Amino acid sequence: MSLFGWFGKALRVNLNTGDIKEEEIEKKLLTAWLGGRGLGTHMVYCEVPADGNPLGVENKLVFATGPLTGTSFPGSGRFSVSAKSPLTGTIFDSNAGGTWGVRLKSCGFDLLIIEGASATPVFLSIRDGVASLEEAGELWGKDVLETNQALTSKLGKAVSVACIGPAGENQVKFAAIMNDGHRALGRGGLGAVMGAKKLKAIAVSGNKKVAVADSDKMDLVVYEANKWVKANPITSKGLPEFGTPVLVHLFNELGVFPTCNFQGSQFAGAGKISGEAIAETIYSGRKGCYRCPVQCSRMIKIGNFTMAGPEYESLWALGPECGIDDLEVIAKANHLCNLLGLDTISTGVTIGCAMELEERELLKTGLKFGDAVGLLQVIKQIAKREGVGELLAEGSRRLADNCGCPQYGMQVKGLELPAYDPRGMQGMGLGFATSNRGACHLRAYMVGPEALGVPKMVDRFSTGGKAGLTITQQNINAAVDSLSICRFINLAVSEEYFARALSAATGVNYQPQDLHRIGERIWNLEKLYNLRAGVDSSFDTLPPRLLKEPIAEGPSLGRTVELEPMLAEYYRFRGWDEAGIPTPKKLQELELGEYSC
Amino acid sequence: MLTDFKRIGRDLFLSGLNSSHSGNLSVRYGDKIVITRRGSMLGHLEERDLIETGLTKNDSKIILASTEIGVHRAIYQGTSALAVVHAHPVHAIALSLLEDQILPIDSEGAYLLHKIPVIGAEHTIGSKELENSLPGLLSEYKIVMVRGHGSFAVGQMIEEAYQWTSSLEQVCRIICLTRSLQGELKDGRSAKFTDW
Repeated sequence: MSLFGWFGKALRVNLNTGDIKEEEIEKKLLTAWLGGRGLGTHMVYCEVPADGNPLGVENKLVFATGPLTGTSFPGSGRFSVSAKSPLTGTIFDSNAGGTWGVRLKSCGFDLLIIEGASATPVFLSIRDGVASLEEAGELWGKDVLETNQALTSKLGKAVSVACIGPAGENQVKFAAIMNDGHRALGRGGLGAVMGAKKLKAIAVSGNKKVAVADSDKMDLVVYEANKWVKANPITSKGLPEFGTPVLVHLFNELGVFPTCNFQGSQFAGAGKISGEAIAETIYSGRKGCYRCPVQCSRMIKIGNFTMAGPEYESLWALGPECGIDDLEVIAKANHLCNLLGLDTISTGVTIGCAMELEERELLKTGLKFGDAVGLLQVIKQIAKREGVGELLAEGSRRLADNCGCPQYGMQVKGLELPAYDPRGMQGMGLGFATSNRGACHLRAYMVGPEALGVPKMVDRFSTGGKAGLTITQQNINAAVDSLSICRFINLAVSEEYFARALSAATGVNYQPQDLHRIGERIWNLEKLYNLRAGVDSSFDTLPPRLLKEPIAEGPSLGRTVELEPMLAEYYRFRGWDEAGIPTPKKLQELELGEYSC
Repeated sequence: MLTDFKRIGRDLFLSGLNSSHSGNLSVRYGDKIVITRRGSMLGHLEERDLIETGLTKNDSKIILASTEIGVHRAIYQGTSALAVVHAHPVHAIALSLLEDQILPIDSEGAYLLHKIPVIGAEHTIGSKELENSLPGLLSEYKIVMVRGHGSFAVGQMIEEAYQWTSSLEQVCRIICLTRSLQGELKDGRSAKFTDW
């Protein structure tokens, strides 16, 4: 099979038997689902029982690159991992940048499927396409940086490592898979799935080049795309200079910057933790992913120690969400999460939930809002499941449920909310409620139209038209995730360029509208899986606080999320019935008739 | 300030000097710039469309600023301007594709502008090249055309920069109309401004 953009090959590793085999991927699957999230969703739908235990042997981890991975297209250094999530019980994909995805593809594989579970700790080595499972008893218990160092010492600096830390080993429900040291496939607890399989790490290196069908056309599209990246102040100035913490002031001034488990929506200490504050105090340099002209990652220095700086979401979750405004403490907490392999958002929001439960005398943990020492201490306890950490390691939904107060868990479908108060951004609220993987800002990324004016600014308080806009965004973002392109490139470069680059890379003609349709198919397939898993429309909601308690101050004063009318419109617009189930007609229209819920 | 921006933005749009979402305006005060938001509609400016950011230094507001923020900053740093108007006047753009400079042939245009330089650039939007070349020219001329892209005009106030923009388009319409009539010009006053 002669392919461009893709290699058309998967590597399947069975940890029960130790069998490793190469498989061909049918071209029709690649052209239909592209790669990344799309192909991962398809594989999980077909191979992972929806009613299975996410931490059981029946779950699988699908690592996937995209057709643009390894090409010259800007922001094409990402990859994704899909599985059934132990945190949400839904189908779940998480993606990260760095170099790991590019290295996997340069081994000649579009997909890596991990199935079964090993009896003892192992790591997987894939070098120049040759794979082997190796004993990892000595790595078990090591943190993420130690694991990286051990494997690069053993296998050479050319390898890129994806691994779990102690949190993954202990099957913390929001454990991350970490790659290239500090990059995180953070959300959804996929690190716990890896831990349950006793797979400590995957080290990859390779030299295969991706064949591009029309390199002249690709060069032209890349040149034009880079022009926009360089011209747009978000990608040419804001993100390179301040990283994602550039968003702190913006959202604080809009009055949608949650504090203390979403009890407040503006943070008095925002100036102490903003992108500007980082630049003026602890910033030590920039770092970027493969082929990235933006280079938004921060390196910071505290004392003599250099570490990866916190992203906007992490900064918020470990800071204002817990009532903390000490930048160094937040940076240390972020570093600790990276070492232990914890999702920073879920960690911070779960701790914030525990702090509110303590405040209300519903749980005895000793954790109080603003308690910096307690924050650092409890992060370690969570990763080790020690003391109060055992309770918190299950996430905010189970924590609040166990205390008999589910309303204080700031989560949707079990996934903790990120750093935006949707009461002041109605589309964001609808996006959180309807997201197939729970409260995720990236599925619809309404930050674009409701705060950054991308593609155009809309009234953030209005519910009118938000259903259609949310759906359009969800669909196109599903396709972008399947190309495995960074979302920040999408802030400057429209999907037209993605379609042209995809056509040039693969030799298959794609129009922008095709990307929307592919995204819609992915969204519907995810929904079908979730319905099979018992995650129905009753989960398409928000924490009661966001629906009933108006914001008490600031520019979003008096707002709640008016979810009900938007949700009804959303289902109609999707072509689903009133119970939020895709109709046979819609499935037929999307050529998903063979799939069912 | 919003009133001035709204008034001038609306006029620029209604007189066809900008399309629905093109163009940008800014004013300088001290070490700050107030510039229109990226993607804002100049004909319908609101308070949220005015973005205040640093003259030389970025801050977090930069992510909302016009794509041409770099050029506006360079102009302020290289000239004594206190206001900049960037527009896309169609007749001026058409002429810029044919000429290296535009010489007004009508008396008012010649009186006000004398000569309008035209410069080309590989990248014309959010362009480093233009950040380098425009300030020097705008130290000498009130308004400069970027070939195939649009005009940058400076003033002590925003209305002044708007006037040069409006005058330029008037000048260019007259040139285009005269050329379409294909007669011989009876007045050669523009020639003397070739080396202006």
